[in-house]
Amino acid sequence: MKTHLFESLILHPEASGLEMSLKHFHVEFDAERRAWITFDMAGSAANVWNEITLREFNRALDRVAHEAGVRALILRSAKERVFIAGADLKAVRHATVKKLEELIDLGQATFNRLAALPFPKVALIHGACVGGGLELALACDVRIVTDSEHTRLGLPETQIGLIPAWGGSTRLPKLIGLAKALELIVTGRLLKPSQAKRIGLIQDVVAREHLEAVAKAATTRSMPKAWWMDRLCASFLGNRVKASVQGKIRGLYPAPLRAVDVVTRAPFTSISKAMELEKHAILDLALSPETARLIDFFFRKEDATKKAWPVGVALQVQDVSVVGAGIMGSGIAHWIAAHGKRVLLQDISTESLAKGMGRVSGLLNEGLQRRAISSRERRDTLDRLSLEHDRVPLTHQQLIIEAATEDMSVKKKIFADLAARSGPDTILATNTSALSVTELADTVPHPERVIGLHFFNPVHRMPLVEVIATKHTSDDVIATMVSFVQKLGKVPVVVKDSPGFIVNRILVPYLMEAVHLNESGVPADLIDEAMLDYGMPMGPLRLLDEIGLDVAAHVGKTLEAAFPHRFAETMLIQKLMEAGRLGKKTGEGFYSYPEPKTKKPSWSEADHHLMERIRERLGGLLFEEARRVSDEGIARCDSDIELAMTLGTGFPVFRPLTSPVLS
Amino acid sequence: MKPLFIIAATRTPFARAGTSLALLDAVDLGKAAVSALLTRSGIDPHAVDETIIGCVGQPAHAQNIARVIALRAGLPESRPAMTVHRNCASGLEAITTAHAKMCAGQGDVFLVGGTESMSNMPLYFNRGAVEKFTLMGKAKGFAEKLGAAASFRPADFAPLIGLKLGLTDPVVEMNMGETAELLAREFGISREQQDAFAFHSHRKAVAAAAALQKEVSPIYVMGREVTAVLADNGMRADSSLEKLAKLKPMFARQHGTVTAGNSSQITDGAVALLVASEEAVKRHGWQPLGIMTHYAYTGCDPRRMGLGPVRAMDAVLHRAGLKLEDLDFVEINEAFAAQVLAVRQCLNHPSSARRAGLEQPLGELPEAKLNPRGGSIALGHPVGATGARLVLTALDQLRETQSKRALISLCIGGGQGGAAILERV
Repeated sequence: MKTHLFESLILHPEASGLEMSLKHFHVEFDAERRAWITFDMAGSAANVWNEITLREFNRALDRVAHEAGVRALILRSAKERVFIAGADLKAVRHATVKKLEELIDLGQATFNRLAALPFPKVALIHGACVGGGLELALACDVRIVTDSEHTRLGLPETQIGLIPAWGGSTRLPKLIGLAKALELIVTGRLLKPSQAKRIGLIQDVVAREHLEAVAKAATTRSMPKAWWMDRLCASFLGNRVKASVQGKIRGLYPAPLRAVDVVTRAPFTSISKAMELEKHAILDLALSPETARLIDFFFRKEDATKKAWPVGVALQVQDVSVVGAGIMGSGIAHWIAAHGKRVLLQDISTESLAKGMGRVSGLLNEGLQRRAISSRERRDTLDRLSLEHDRVPLTHQQLIIEAATEDMSVKKKIFADLAARSGPDTILATNTSALSVTELADTVPHPERVIGLHFFNPVHRMPLVEVIATKHTSDDVIATMVSFVQKLGKVPVVVKDSPGFIVNRILVPYLMEAVHLNESGVPADLIDEAMLDYGMPMGPLRLLDEIGLDVAAHVGKTLEAAFPHRFAETMLIQKLMEAGRLGKKTGEGFYSYPEPKTKKPSWSEADHHLMERIRERLGGLLFEEARRVSDEGIARCDSDIELAMTLGTGFPVFRPLTSPVLS
Repeated sequence: MKPLFIIAATRTPFARAGTSLALLDAVDLGKAAVSALLTRSGIDPHAVDETIIGCVGQPAHAQNIARVIALRAGLPESRPAMTVHRNCASGLEAITTAHAKMCAGQGDVFLVGGTESMSNMPLYFNRGAVEKFTLMGKAKGFAEKLGAAASFRPADFAPLIGLKLGLTDPVVEMNMGETAELLAREFGISREQQDAFAFHSHRKAVAAAAALQKEVSPIYVMGREVTAVLADNGMRADSSLEKLAKLKPMFARQHGTVTAGNSSQITDGAVALLVASEEAVKRHGWQPLGIMTHYAYTGCDPRRMGLGPVRAMDAVLHRAGLKLEDLDFVEINEAFAAQVLAVRQCLNHPSSARRAGLEQPLGELPEAKLNPRGGSIALGHPVGATGARLVLTALDQLRETQSKRALISLCIGGGQGGAAILERV
């Protein structure tokens, strides 16, 4: 078969000889004097930059440079789903200062060299093009990407405590302007091809099959941006982004702030000077313990999102039923249906079903407005969702998730009914935040298929799902649920059944103590402010208002029954509940909603002193309970406890929760 | 004839056009019925060999609507789907086509039904306007385009109403209502008789509301908020002979007798059934609702299409070797009160029978045996769905009354009749 592509890819006579020495790259020259470098990292599903691949890429560039009359250089990847996944983080995590500096220098020099080649450079991007991958593409003149679901572009370095330091912080603002570059670098957001096109990061989006043909036609150089505008606005933009970042992270994570500094200098300095700034910044950042913890957390989360449960066989789950169309039930049903599974949402009342469907449709419309989903995806999700109020057979569902009210007797009744309507090996899961899964499992035949799935509210936002195994639960069922949760794009953490599991168990003593402090006269906003400075994304009393005091009291009672006299005694929640102040949903809790607009209180020296003591006290309680959870062997390992707390409550990554060293 | 087993059946509520289901098109309605059927029967969609759906006014955006419905309802991509059209009997045609395919060895298990959104029948441009649009599309340059645009006249924008076109016989150029007027005149059926028949249809439907509710699966309509539509809304508990008498004739202003009140309603709705061969029933261990033992389609004078059931019933009874009195009850679709009354007359009176093409009358069809749950005058007639609804309602009545055998029949626009015999197993 002869296609015009093959015809033009006639290898240069010298190619085969030199090719032998390259392990991770192929270099070819076609009849029209174009050089093609294909990155194909040996023994790996992804391409990453490390010392070896960078050096070898340089040798590939040598070959191109020595070839006479090259008209263009085209870079591509041979991998199915990845263009270049960035730098090898494992190498970065354990590198010494000297090694790291060498690596930064090598990367910068390589990409500068690429940028300086005297002919057009084209990056053909299919699959993930992130971090150092995008920095390579930025050093090219033309970027063409495929319209694939796997194609994503971004510079996520700040999310793991680093900044783009191979020229990304310098070249991105030059390409797309300072404002957009700051947004992209500070948030670490990954872009879909269409979004990348919209902001001018890439020239064209094409079908994968057309990449090569389009590359041959593309020889245009990208135009430099209007620099005077960025120079004029740099300090204003920088301060504005800094202020918004500061509000969210309170200076606890230095990387995004440092990135703002480096990026806003880019319009004023030469490339080499700017790169010098990048290097200094990353060397400062990379060697901090915070960054080490952020990178470790990244790996842990990757593991939890991708690794199969070590024992048992994970079965396919395609049909799911969710019982209960309340806030949790409809939230779970929406999420599962949005991820390609068919969902039967059951409730005894058609009115609740309509309301639940209303919530689902609200979520989808919101996604549509944010352009996160297309109208076709919205319709498909709705099509996959059916509603039923009758006792219909549940024989071809592989999984049933009960999300009824948190009441053991109600749940037992529902489970008996579900067991009668489903097959003997249908997985029966309960979405509970504190009730005993084992007690529930004991009431149905085949308790080995009963498991807990603790989704957090709001389901579409919270990445964590606690997978609660009882002593009966079979390995196959655990493995199936771990893989199912992963396919939903959430992070499963497997927990032994015990009151409060991990997150609520650790959180409740902390919340109760916060209430107790408030009861004994410490203002609510002072307590919350203290914990925001600690690194929590939300203060404890505001969190209680969000959860709803009735829900929190219920979880508290379950834990109180399991661990009597462990918690601070407080009547305040009871009092507030009696006054009908259940938190945000009733408009009144520890705070009033919608909140009256008042000026930010200014704190005195004494207040700051008090806050410090509050942090010690509340933080101490978190540590103490985490240690108990660890000692009791409820989690598989200590890092799972930290993972669950960070994903479930926003507990700051940079604080070690389970190791004895206190920050 | 090899019997066709009916395993499960359900339908959406039937709602007067322009009311609670008006936001949904024929695809949405059909999808809702098929989804509900799959959910309620609990069958694995992979068991289905083919989907066959009847629809009279297929939306332009969903050609072969059966395939669109099947895919959106979650049937496997590997299973084919086809749409059938026999006007008012399209829903029945879906079932009998499944039977024919089963007998031809083209499958064992079929998902069948009918769907119609009469709220969403299209409006068309007239021929002259269409030509002008074509010219405008071809025009090059601004001046030419402007010239083409200037040729439009206000009359070009007067729409042709798809619903009205669909209800007019193109061969004899008579509206369906006019065919009913013709029968009323020729068979001497008075306005009072027609109104009384319509009144009874409403009365029977109201009395059977609880039973009708069991035929229905709720449908959730996404509007500004989500509403659960739970029940049919066509039947009028407050219907009375006085009120019916006040309505003006629709098709012959001067001396006509056919009114909106004694005709079937314009309605949205869909029906879905699961049918299978005896072997498949045994293999899956299904509990069937009943079987279709015989069916027949016959032709007649398009101007008197309302008499269609006469020959069709004669044919199907002959094929089954049965008599009218062997049937526990009969469902004749109430396209028009005049038309059903004319059919009854033809079944019973020798001279009328001869006019309808029968050599011998079949006998008396007692009122108590006819349409026990009311008919399309009260429930509405979503044309593509009604044939399937008659099968559903007949089977449910067989179950409820624990009786043995029922006959369903419809008159079909264009001059045809369809009939089928159902038995409880």
